[in-house]
Order: sequence, then C-alpha cells, then structure tokens
Amino acid sequence: MILLIRKLLCLFFCLILVSFQTKADSLSEKIQQTAFSQEWLALVHYQPTWYQTYKSSIDSDNFFLAPDGKTNPKHELEATLRLFQSNDTTKQCLFPARYLFLKQHNFIQNNFVNCPDYQSFQKDLNPNGITFIFTDAYMNNPASLFGHTLMRTDAPKEKTQLMAYGMNYGAWVDEKTAGALYALYGLTGGYYGGFTVKPYYSVINMYNNIENRDIWEYQLQLTPDEQAFYVAHLWEVGQTQTRYYFFTKNCSYLLMEVLDAVRPSLKLAQSFPLQTVPLDTVKAVAGKEGLLQSENYRPSRQRRITYRYEQMSPTEKEALKDLLFHDDFSKTNALSAPQKAAVLDTAYEYVQYQWIKQDILLDDYRAKSFQILKERRKMTLLSTEEEIKGVSPLLSHDSMRIQGAFGTHQGKTYAEVKWRPAYHALTDSAIGLSPESEIQFLETVFRYYTQKKRLYLQEITLLKISSFSPYSLLFKPLSYQIETGIKREKNFKTKTEKLMYSLSGGSGLTFSLTSHMSIYGLVNSVFQYGGKAMPHHFGVGIGVSSGILYHRQNWQTQIEGKYWLSDNEMIRKTSIKGEISYHLARNWAIGTSYEGQKRVGGYENDFRIFLNRYF
Amino acid sequence: MKKLMLASVGFVLLASGSALAHDSTGCGLGSMAWRGQSGMLPQLLAVTTNGLFGSQTFGISTGTSGCDPNGRITGGTQKMFLTFLENNMEQFAFDASRGEGETLVAVAGILNVPVEKVATVSKEHFNEIFSSQNVEVVAVAEEVLTLLNLQVA
Repeated sequence: MILLIRKLLCLFFCLILVSFQTKADSLSEKIQQTAFSQEWLALVHYQPTWYQTYKSSIDSDNFFLAPDGKTNPKHELEATLRLFQSNDTTKQCLFPARYLFLKQHNFIQNNFVNCPDYQSFQKDLNPNGITFIFTDAYMNNPASLFGHTLMRTDAPKEKTQLMAYGMNYGAWVDEKTAGALYALYGLTGGYYGGFTVKPYYSVINMYNNIENRDIWEYQLQLTPDEQAFYVAHLWEVGQTQTRYYFFTKNCSYLLMEVLDAVRPSLKLAQSFPLQTVPLDTVKAVAGKEGLLQSENYRPSRQRRITYRYEQMSPTEKEALKDLLFHDDFSKTNALSAPQKAAVLDTAYEYVQYQWIKQDILLDDYRAKSFQILKERRKMTLLSTEEEIKGVSPLLSHDSMRIQGAFGTHQGKTYAEVKWRPAYHALTDSAIGLSPESEIQFLETVFRYYTQKKRLYLQEITLLKISSFSPYSLLFKPLSYQIETGIKREKNFKTKTEKLMYSLSGGSGLTFSLTSHMSIYGLVNSVFQYGGKAMPHHFGVGIGVSSGILYHRQNWQTQIEGKYWLSDNEMIRKTSIKGEISYHLARNWAIGTSYEGQKRVGGYENDFRIFLNRYF
Repeated sequence: MKKLMLASVGFVLLASGSALAHDSTGCGLGSMAWRGQSGMLPQLLAVTTNGLFGSQTFGISTGTSGCDPNGRITGGTQKMFLTFLENNMEQFAFDASRGEGETLVAVAGILNVPVEKVATVSKEHFNEIFSSQNVEVVAVAEEVLTLLNLQVA
C-alpha cells in the first residue's frame, strides 16, 4: 500500500515536473510563433530586409525594450513580456498598444497600470471614428508639391469635426536651414520625423484657408476596438523619432505603417518599397476592401471664392468689384437678397485671402471685413452655403508612367520607352488633379534606332515643375517652370551627338481664354553643359516661351514655342513642340507629339505616336 | 555671362527656399488678426474678466499657440471656448453674421447649448458681440456667455 502511495506520489511529482517543462516549452514556442506574426511585426514597425531578417522603421532607442530590439522581433517580444510582468509602471505607461497586444494573445491577464498622462490623451482624443485626410498639392512650396496626408480622430458628436484632432507625421525642420540644404536634408534623411497632434480647426485653417489647398476626408471603417488600439499605438509612436526621407519614409509612409499596426491584414506599407506619393497612399487605403466608408470634400478658400465668382451674374460681379476695390457698397443694394448675400460672403472671404497674402494692412483688413459683416448681419437668415462638388482625386491616373512610342527623327525611325516614377504631366489626364501644373520626376528615356540597330539613353529629366495658374481679377499668381536633366543633343558642326546637362527656369503669367483653354508666356534663363561636344564646354542663355494649354474631358493638348538668345550656338535656337493625348481609361492614354528646332547649322524634326500606361 | 548663370541657379534655389516659409506641423497660426492687441491671453484675462470667469486659476502659459504643448485643447469649458474663439475668430464672426456655419455648431458643442440658440443669438446680437473692429477675443467670449446666460467653469 505504502509502496503504491509512493509510486503514485512519484508519478504525481513527475507529472508536475513534466507539466512545468511543457509549460515552459509551450511558452517559448508561443513566443517564437507570435514574434513573427503579422500583428507583432506591424506593431513594432518591422519591415523585412533583403537578407531575410527584419528591421524596424522607427529609429528612437526608447521605442525598443531589448538591446537588439530594432532588428530582433523575438527578443523584443520577450522583453515586452518581461516589462509587463515587472513593476516598472513608468515604462509600461509608454506602451499601451503592446499591452493590448499581449492581453489579446493571452500572455498576460492583469489590468493596464494607472497612467494619468496617457489617460488624459485617451480622453482628449476619444475617437468616434478615424478619418484619413488628403490635402492636394501646394505649388508655392516644393515640399508640398506632391500633396500631404494626415489622420483625424473624429469628434464624438456629429458635425463638430472642428473640435476633432488631426495627427500629422512630418519632419522637424530647423527654420534657419537655407533652401538648398533644406532640400538636401529632406532627401537624405538629415531631418527627423515625428508625430504631432493638433486640433482639426488648425488643420483646416492651415491647409484650406492659408495655403489654399483642397482637403479630402476619407472616413475609415474601423471597429471601436481598432480605434482604441489606434489611439494606444499613437501614444507609443508619438514618443519616437524616425529619420525622414522626402521620397520614401515621408509623411505618408509612416501612416501606412500605423494603419498596418491597427489592422495587420491591410499590409499597406509593403506597397511602398521605393517611393511614397501621398495620393498613391490614399488610393491604397481606398482600395482595401472594407476600409473606406465615405469621402468628404472641403474646398480651399480660393476654390470657394472662384466657384462663387463664376456663378455670379455681370451685375453681381460689378457690385463685388466696387466693394472690394473701391470700398463702395452702393451697387449691392440694387441686388436681390440672395445675390447680395453671395456678394458679401464672397467679399468677406476675399478680404481674408488678401490679409493672409499681406496684400492689405491690418487696419484696412479689420475695417473692411467688419463693414461687410455689419451689412451681412442686417439680412435675414439666408443660406449661401452650397455644396461645391470636386472631382475625387481617387479618379486620377496613377503616378508612375510607362510610355511606349514609335517615332521618326530626321527621317530615321525609332522605338522608345519612357519611364517616369512620378507624378503628373500637363498632357496627362487632369481628372482629379490640377490641369494647371505638372511635376515630372526622374523621367528616363531609352531610344532604339531601327536602322542603326542601336540603343541610346536619350534623356533623363531629373525634375520638371510647371505651374500655370491663370491670372485673374481676384487671383494673381505668377506662373513658373523649372527643368533640369540630361539630354542627347546634336552639334550640327561636328556632327556629333552627346548627352548634355541643362538647368533652366523661368516665370511669367497665364491667362484663361475659355474655361478649357489658357495661354501663357514666360521669360527664361538656362545653363547648359555639353563638354567637348559644345563650344566652350558650357554656356548660358536667356529667352522667352509661350504656349497654349487645352483640357477638355479626355483630351489634353499643349503647344509651346521657345526662343533662346545666347552667344553659344548650341543654346541659341528656336523651337516648337506640340503634344496631344486622349485618355482611354483612368490608366491608359494614347497620343502624338511633334518637336522641331532650328539652330546654327541645321534643324531637327521629331514626330512620335505613343501609348501611356499608368500604375 | 557669369551673372546669367548665377541668376538661373539662383532661381532654382529661390524656389526651393520658399519651402521653409511654412512648417505645417505644430499648432497655432500666424494669421489671426483679431486675436487681440496684446496677444497674450493671460494678460487679457487679467484686465477684462472681472470675475466673470470665476476662479483665475487657469494660467495659460503657452501664449498664442492655441493649444497646450501636447497639441490638445485642455482645460474646462471656458478655456476650450476661449481657445476655440482665439483660433477661429474670423470664421466665427462670419458665421455669426450669417446665422449659420460650422463654427456655430462647434461653439454649441463646447458650451452644450442647442445650435439654433447659438445661431439666433449670435446673429441677433452681432453688434453687441462684435462691438468694434478692434474687439478682443475675451470680450467676444464674455458677451456670448452673457447673452446665452451661461456660467461656465
């Protein structure tokens, strides 16, 4: 009997030992499995590297608990588990999302510690939805040429989104850094990026009212749990810094990683391994099944003024002009009540615009806006708020473009491939984008001459930016164009063709002829370096150019003539070019182009037909 | 010749340099013309509140930024209301004169008053709320609260 009891006891202890052993085994197995799960990888912002390991995008040391946490998901998970089994509540307070993660995966059961700072953050943000925000391009600031994205935790009550919070990821820019250095730092990771939270009214004021940029709001379908997790994760990454790269790890990219952390199945970040164009991220978000709930448009102040002005009758326009430029309200009294209200409201917004542009002095601004409001308040309640419809940027063509073309150059036929990673040309479809501006980045052209059977690198446009906003009674923007890159040019005297570098820029004005057509004129300057293929190796020139832009539905056309003056005969020339394209579908277009130039010793003609594919 | 070259290079630099002009992060905007002459909210409060706002304990130290260093609107109703008005004065004045608009909805939300009431009162009493073109934000806030017959903390 005793023997039996002993045996049983032995068995009992053995079982306990074994169960301890298996428990330890199963924990390490579970850690191994969980550490490489999509959820954990997304939460710590790990991205796979080319040599089959992981590296987190976040650069701050304080974001990692294990010494090698930046590159080791497993050690980081173990260290996180240790943290939440320890008494270090201060540190625990920094990682509310990791706590939620551990709890969801049954690693821990205890409640989250008491963290007053985090709790007030939670209470302030208290989301009733999460909205992804896109602001379109701001042509006056190169850093904003591609648009911008941010996120909003929606305010609890309907229609009070002014009191919601915008979450922005951006570079911490040293305001003293000069222009070129700023660009260099921005491109090469010289700045750190970080998250900031600010009231949504500030976002609207900044983008809609000061920078005159349209805002598009995309409400996301996230569950209350996901929204809470978003806030928790925002708190975690809000304490961190990450090197900022203008084209890759930029304002939009980190938001993709944050959304991945909230819903790991989205895998948004992996769609942007090379370049992150803000508009592309909006499309990626909208393209995920079950993520997009609704789209809302907040037109910029300039758009609101323009829209109202275009709706006005000639008498309303006259009354508005008198009011704005001669301080004369008399003509408004002859108008019907709705007309008068429209004129006063437009005038008020315009005076605000003038003040921000610093076109008027503070005293004049105050006096005038006050006078307008006093007139306005006398009128009975009359709604002038009408919905301005914008064309959704989701309908625009994608930003990468491949063009295949056949052409003849001086009678010699060729086939050509053009590749452009970003973003938009004046002859691409303007649906959902501005028809007045273009940004072409790194466009690379290879040309194959069929008779010679030779392939040439024909051209690389490093950057080309054009802005042709029409000059009008109310808005007086300067048009400009900057272009730099290398291109094969022929020296007619030596009969050699070489790649030459050039940098040119100019500014001028654009006028609308009809609602579909505008005409522009610029004064330009150029620097060109051609090495041995060019007299004196390099030269400079000044010149003028003029062109016509035409956009209608699926058609877009640009015709441009240029004249250059220079003592260098490689630069002194007259050229004309025209391009017409037709959009077959959102991401397909066909077209034809002609370019002719005349220089000392000869002329060149180039004619092509092409097919564009965007993706 | 050299000058021309410099000019064309300078042009490009100029264009990229304007990138500095705006830092779209952080809070507070430089455009708020009706913010009040002296700019600093605590001073205004000291001069004009006369006890209406009850305790003077909310010493706002962030100046004109419109939000605390964490970017959030904190504090009680009156501080939220002031902060909101300070940053949206022009739009609020516009909406008040019309009797409609998003800022009226926001104010109604902050003060927990029906939107219609805020709209009607603001339009009807526009001249009292905005007594002059140099009106200060605290005076505006004070008048709105008086008209709505509100005592807020």
